[in-house]
Amino acid sequence: MPDPSSQDAVLVSVPASPEYVNLIRAVTASVAARVPLSFDAIEDLKLAVDEGCARLLTVSRAARRMQLRLTASDDGLEAVVSIDAEVGTWPPPNIEETFSWRVLSALVDTVALDLDGGAPSVRMTKARLDPPVPSEAP
Amino acid sequence: MSSRPLGSIDRSIEVELFERLPNDPSARDELVEAFLPLAEYLARRFDRRGEPLDDLIQVASVGLLNAIDRFDLARDVQFSTYAAVTIVGELKRHFRDKGWAIRVPRRLQEVALRINAVLPELAQEHGRSPTIEEIAARCEATPEEILDAMEAVQAYSTSSLDTPVGEDGIAPVEVLGEEDPSIETLEGWASVAPALQELPPRERRVLYLRFFEGLTQSEIAEQVGVSQMHVSRILAQTLRFLRERAETDPPRGSGSRGADQ
Repeated sequence: MPDPSSQDAVLVSVPASPEYVNLIRAVTASVAARVPLSFDAIEDLKLAVDEGCARLLTVSRAARRMQLRLTASDDGLEAVVSIDAEVGTWPPPNIEETFSWRVLSALVDTVALDLDGGAPSVRMTKARLDPPVPSEAP
Repeated sequence: MSSRPLGSIDRSIEVELFERLPNDPSARDELVEAFLPLAEYLARRFDRRGEPLDDLIQVASVGLLNAIDRFDLARDVQFSTYAAVTIVGELKRHFRDKGWAIRVPRRLQEVALRINAVLPELAQEHGRSPTIEEIAARCEATPEEILDAMEAVQAYSTSSLDTPVGEDGIAPVEVLGEEDPSIETLEGWASVAPALQELPPRERRVLYLRFFEGLTQSEIAEQVGVSQMHVSRILAQTLRFLRERAETDPPRGSGSRGADQ
């Protein structure tokens, strides 16, 4: 995948276990600080990554590895957490009515639940600093 | 050593209560009442590790409820034994998940206190939430130390940070709003409604302000009268609590005992 923008991506792979979520969160914060995101935004993103990991670890117990991919852009930071297990249904049915979705969408600017080759992922973006209010909302 | 464990009741009564349990909610209440002393006793054994005893008792009670739901009379074991194992498991998990068994190094505690002090200043000066670089420069610390302190505060209990920001020392609970925010009515939150009921008012209020009113963490800190890092910790821990409850409270009704999803 020769996407030039991905050259700056940070990739972390850890065992798919709750004890490693701290590490995922710490790496996220460290990269987010360099982008930079604001203190508030970093705290929100950490909570969202926590939730994303918890969601993934609940959906499959067969996963062996959990991965974090961080990509900075002019807009901000994209964090993608994923597990290496195939799951039947992803995103879960009626996801938008779940507590998890509500929390995620309140904490970050965009959330997407994707399937990459059968492996579920949670993709989140958070804007750098506090951006000015968009001048023309659709 | 092998004296009667706390909260133990006659096996015959135990059997009777568990037989009534599926159809009679009062049996559950009686079991809770009979074994709550056991939960409290076990919680006390984990005291003085940096966690308020009230929280530990709450964790132990959750363990007790789980034990009641999962206990199988067919197993040749007394409920008190089974409950003790489940409760201790819940307490250990509580500490392990939060890493509270480990002490926060003094240096990080100091940095955390300084961050708390400079955050409102910097927000005022810049008109926005500051960057880690800006905080580090003001605290005379490295960005890594700032990040470590942020993580430590979220993960560990550092009770000195729980004190109110105001110098007059008003307990944070005093400055809570009068209204009782019903976050359960929020779309998507109904599934965690029972667990929300168990939260202390301040925790509910912080959730409400963040997820219903959409306030930032700094704004919530100002409204509730605690430091911003404390808000962060409340949010992290409360979300974790709700998540765990959502996972351990499967929809009732079907005989799913022992099913491993």
